Amino acid sequence: MCLSPLLGQPFIDGVGLMIAPNIEAMSLGELRYLAFKQGLTKAYSWEREELIDALIELYEELDIEISEGGDSYSTSAQHRYMNSLIEHFSEDTYANLPGIEDLPDNYPETKINLLFKDPYWAHAYWNICPADIQKLDQAYEKYSLFLRVQIHRTKDGKLDAESFEIEIDKCDTSWNVNLIERGRQYSISLNYRDKEGNSGMLSQSEQIETPKCYWNDNLDELNDEKTFTLLFSSLVTKGGQLVESPMLREIVERLDQQIGGSK
Amino acid sequence: MKRNSLNLVLNAHMPFVRHPEYPRFLEEDWLFEAIGETYLPLLRMLRKLRDENVPFRLTLSISPTLCSMLADPVLQGRFTDFLHLHQELGEKEVKRCSEEEPECLEMAQFYLDQINTNLQEYFELYQCNILGGFLDLEESGHLELITTAATHTYLPLYSEYPSAINAQVELAVQSHVNHFKKRPKGFWLPECGYYPNLEEYLQKEEFEYFQLSAQSLILSEDKVQRGSYAPVSCPNGVHAFARDYHLTSLVWSNSEGYPADVDYREFYRDIGYDLPFDYIEPYIHSPNVRVFTGFKYYAITGNGNEKRFYDITKAQEKVIKHAKNFLYTVKEKGNKIGDLLDRDPFYTVAFDAELFGHWWFEGINWLETLFRLAADDKEIVFETGSDYLKRHPENQILQPAYSSWGDGGYSNVWANGSNVWAYKHIHKAIERMEELAIRFPDQSSLKQRFLNQAAREVLLAMSSDWPFIIHNGTNVTYATNRLKEHLGNFNLVYENMCKNAVNTEWLVKAEKRNILFPDIDYNVFNLDSERNRYNG
Repeated sequence: MCLSPLLGQPFIDGVGLMIAPNIEAMSLGELRYLAFKQGLTKAYSWEREELIDALIELYEELDIEISEGGDSYSTSAQHRYMNSLIEHFSEDTYANLPGIEDLPDNYPETKINLLFKDPYWAHAYWNICPADIQKLDQAYEKYSLFLRVQIHRTKDGKLDAESFEIEIDKCDTSWNVNLIERGRQYSISLNYRDKEGNSGMLSQSEQIETPKCYWNDNLDELNDEKTFTLLFSSLVTKGGQLVESPMLREIVERLDQQIGGSK
Repeated sequence: MKRNSLNLVLNAHMPFVRHPEYPRFLEEDWLFEAIGETYLPLLRMLRKLRDENVPFRLTLSISPTLCSMLADPVLQGRFTDFLHLHQELGEKEVKRCSEEEPECLEMAQFYLDQINTNLQEYFELYQCNILGGFLDLEESGHLELITTAATHTYLPLYSEYPSAINAQVELAVQSHVNHFKKRPKGFWLPECGYYPNLEEYLQKEEFEYFQLSAQSLILSEDKVQRGSYAPVSCPNGVHAFARDYHLTSLVWSNSEGYPADVDYREFYRDIGYDLPFDYIEPYIHSPNVRVFTGFKYYAITGNGNEKRFYDITKAQEKVIKHAKNFLYTVKEKGNKIGDLLDRDPFYTVAFDAELFGHWWFEGINWLETLFRLAADDKEIVFETGSDYLKRHPENQILQPAYSSWGDGGYSNVWANGSNVWAYKHIHKAIERMEELAIRFPDQSSLKQRFLNQAAREVLLAMSSDWPFIIHNGTNVTYATNRLKEHLGNFNLVYENMCKNAVNTEWLVKAEKRNILFPDIDYNVFNLDSERNRYNG
């Protein structure tokens, strides 16, 4: 085995990782082929249960989630672009055009970006220009880096901001940031601090805004059955499963608590 | 009596995959399978309905990358090779099944007949370009063709890059006009990915509407009046239709959806894996890579490996049952919510087109049955977004909320631990493309071609498909390589242009490899130049 530089996961030379829709639903032929391709060379002499156990064990070792039950038709994951049960990556990976180099680890600009992922999380990533690192190294015998998350809000008609800090290592390049409040603007800055406690800012991101939902502040209106039906009848499956949305789930849970509390 | 209007929207999309440098290329089969199992059968079914005067209206988004591939003579030739290869396999299968596995003969013959019909229609009816077939159905008033972002980009992750969003929207329109000779009225938001004010770009290109994920209206800061049963007007006047999750999930759910029925065909059991290597070898990929061939003989049956042979008659009975159930559910829903609304309900149900025929084998039959049953039902009518807006031009003004149809309802599918590394490089490429467009405006000749190719490479890197594939863990290496290829290509142009040089050898090869958007103008990345152009 060797370590895939792309995935950080082991794979057998010349073959790929299994893309298993449902291991229990596979035929003996499929299981033997998959197991053999994963490097289990005795696969063709094994029986079904042995193959399943071996594959499960292998994928547990690799920390890959596989399906062992449920129906084999899985559309909630929106399967697309799949014409094989094995990811194949040797001969079919094509050559780059002439002159193409690997992507750089760093760009010659210092910049931090904040990507909104969902109402609760943002992803910050940054790049520190090698020249800036050199300047810091020369200026300070010892210094550390940290992120400052700023939360902007309007309070009593005035713009108010608070912030918190996240200590980072010099080798870090990204961080997932928890967004605590709804309806607020967030920004993040990349900073350094010397051993005397003096700090300076290297870069600041644009602001992102966490969404605010009308029903969060007007939950009582949802106690009206007609309003609730009108709004939620298009958001649940026939089995009563709510569309995936953490904010919506929060509203429903609060509503449940309210109804439970009033009983 | 309530009139229930159904707005059925299909999103036909394939990422740009084209590798003529190889005799066969595994990932090109994505397109060929979609043409053979979804697009051609869908066209056939819609033409049949039209010929029989069965009324129907359907909205179809055909992505610019898909348009480009469907119109490409190289891929057209490779698709016919694909069909011929499978025709040969079909003939062998009919012989084998008649001798060894008679239970599978009916299906083997069915597949062979479908391939033969595909071949005949592809050549004789469409002259190898099926876009004409869709246009014909639009011209007869049955289809409404719309477009989507140029490379099907998940747009919310680029909200800080107006030039890139603008380029995705402007080139989408350009591509649509090139292929269909008219401006589209609707815009399919890739992955239903929306962030507030995205509609500004759509308004600039005169779009009337777009679609949204189910939760987008209820999560607004404003109080939505009609739930998802009517569109809203964004503050700038572009309309937004929210998808009905309840109705959509009747089809698109792994636990409750119709396609999971035990009598339907099992997708994953395929002779590509089940038959001996010597027999199947010419029809799979070299070297010795077993793949799906499309010849599948088993029904879903259950969760285990014991599968029944597929029974086409039994499956057809289920199709009728499921189509009736869908319409019954719509009407029942109409009865339940009708009194809560001040106008008849309008339901938007949106799917990937390739679900029908390719993933869900019986899906196209189901659509056909749906249209036929609805034709005799006074309570159901199929309408498109623009049909509705003609009837109801005035709608509640409301700003939809950030959302997508991906797992979790936001951006987690396209930005998570597996794929988020890419944005550092893609965002940088966009910034640098803007820089090039400003530093080198209105170039001509070689430099213009060089910069145009750089713009193509940035747009290709922005495709939502690469992070999606990486997240889903299917063809991770290919998707990663494609991202690195386009970003590497872009970096080459950037570095050369910074030295005021053009790498001609690279340019000629890159133009041959990534041929889409022939009329691209890299100046689209210079928003000042864009504004000047629009102002006169």
